[in-house]
Amino acid sequence: MATILITGFAGGLARRVARRLLDAGHAVVGVDYRDAPAMDGVTLYRASYDKTAIEDVFRKHAFSAVLHLGRVGNLSKQVERRFELNVLGTQKILTLCRAHGVATLVVLSTFHIYGAHPRNHTPISEQDPLRAGYDFPQIADAIQLDNMASTWVYQYPEVRVVVLRPVNVVGPTIKNSMSTLLRLPRVPYLAGFNPMMQFVHEDDLAAAVEAAMHGSARGVFNVAGSDVIPWRTALDLAELKTFPIPGSLVSLYLRTISAFPGYLVNFFKYPCVITDQEFRRTFGWQPVVGARETLRSITGATSDLG
Amino acid sequence: MSPPYGAKRALLHFLSRRVDPELEAAFAALPNRLNDLGFDMWGFNPAEAARYYPLARSLYDYFRTEIHGVENLPAGRVLLVPNHGGQLPLDGIVIAVACLRHGAPPRLVRPMVERWFPKLPYVNEALARSGAVLGDPVNCINLLEDDQAILVFPEGIAGSGKTIRERYRLKPFGRGFMRLALRTNTPVVPVSVIGSEEAIPSVHNLAPLAKLLHMPYFPVSPFVPLLGPFAYLPLPVKFTVTFGEPMRFDGPWDDEDAAIDDKAAVVQAEVQRMVDDGLRARHSIF
Repeated sequence: MATILITGFAGGLARRVARRLLDAGHAVVGVDYRDAPAMDGVTLYRASYDKTAIEDVFRKHAFSAVLHLGRVGNLSKQVERRFELNVLGTQKILTLCRAHGVATLVVLSTFHIYGAHPRNHTPISEQDPLRAGYDFPQIADAIQLDNMASTWVYQYPEVRVVVLRPVNVVGPTIKNSMSTLLRLPRVPYLAGFNPMMQFVHEDDLAAAVEAAMHGSARGVFNVAGSDVIPWRTALDLAELKTFPIPGSLVSLYLRTISAFPGYLVNFFKYPCVITDQEFRRTFGWQPVVGARETLRSITGATSDLG
Repeated sequence: MSPPYGAKRALLHFLSRRVDPELEAAFAALPNRLNDLGFDMWGFNPAEAARYYPLARSLYDYFRTEIHGVENLPAGRVLLVPNHGGQLPLDGIVIAVACLRHGAPPRLVRPMVERWFPKLPYVNEALARSGAVLGDPVNCINLLEDDQAILVFPEGIAGSGKTIRERYRLKPFGRGFMRLALRTNTPVVPVSVIGSEEAIPSVHNLAPLAKLLHMPYFPVSPFVPLLGPFAYLPLPVKFTVTFGEPMRFDGPWDDEDAAIDDKAAVVQAEVQRMVDDGLRARHSIF
């Protein structure tokens, strides 16, 4: 039995992972900068990742692994706050892992840092450049989080660091930008564009996080779902009501109706298709939920995790 | 073939009425390299392609296209290298239809398109569903290693934007295609297209307007004073497409530029020779 710290515990993914670890007999400690609902068997703390309160969490427990799933991806948070939580917070967690002899650190990054760009080739692998920043500097915090964690992979070998860059995470308990968008009464698509997209179910990603934690390899890995499909096919599979929106009206729509982050708009215009062969080969993971079930899981189903 | 997901959309619905059994049979005969939902990772989907290809075939028929040497297409991976001209990639469309209809077995051609196309609304989707791919070395290597047929225009934008005075004089070939051929051990099939370089004549490239509109070039048709925008409709010239014997190249793919350029020049000379032969053999451009 090991004691494992999971950040971002108010989020659906962290709780999925916690459930799996508890079932496997591990002790789980959760932390979030927001209020997180209680969960049986989990010691819960509220602490900003960039403040001293998180240090106490490391003093009170001896963690064998830290799963840093608490990247702030979206919406309401201002750039400054995202920078504090994502960049300064991740830096602090990395430092604490090293100071407290944590053996394994899994950092959840995102494929958004590759950027959706008309010059993207297919598929994108871990060695490819991160293009997101030059059209949308607002995503700088996510790129820096990833870079910082990736640097640690080889700079401090005493901590085994695994950085995961998953595609759009979708599922009944997930509240990220993509899942929120798919829960709108009518989901928009950009008129004249229908790029290829990838989706990974929250259960598959939870299994991927667990596989990364149990494995012995270190490094940076893409995590893609099963099938690559166009955006509108995805909407059809999810049986959603849709409407076209001309490019010129997108910013007005984002300011008035949807809180979807503007810096992700290009993902509905240009493809950003990644390959996760390296991750599959290294950790023996593969997705079990198909595209259809993944997209349908968005609606209806309620959380069974409380 | 059943209508694809998203066929509710007005455009596809309209196109769905234009069914071409010959093309549908050809698509059905292609080897299956698709995921469960019928797409490859670049966005090719035979069900939707079967809706777009009849438009391409209309162009093919409009130009009364004659083809020669399609039996020269080797099985497995191949790079098709034609001359390029005529402002719009009509040459690429005609070659793609020729290989699908007359290849034995039918071959899906994956044209490598300019970086400009993914930005064009609607066009980008029609191209991707029909099998076109952004011209990029990684895309090309992946497709060749999957034993597919790639169509590249090594003359690039300089070729398609040729004015009528420059027709059928090949612009210098880029060397990218030759590195890819060497790296993936792929035969190169030289192709000549006669007719395409006169289909939309241009006497001048209006560069400032092209820059303003973010276009690679802006052709000026000599018929504009007479016909206005209709001057840009392709003339009913006759197309003749000839596929040459496959050419094989040996040597390191990461050799010096000069060594690669020499090999690319061999292909360029062969395409130019085939173009010159084709021009000598034709009696009328119509």
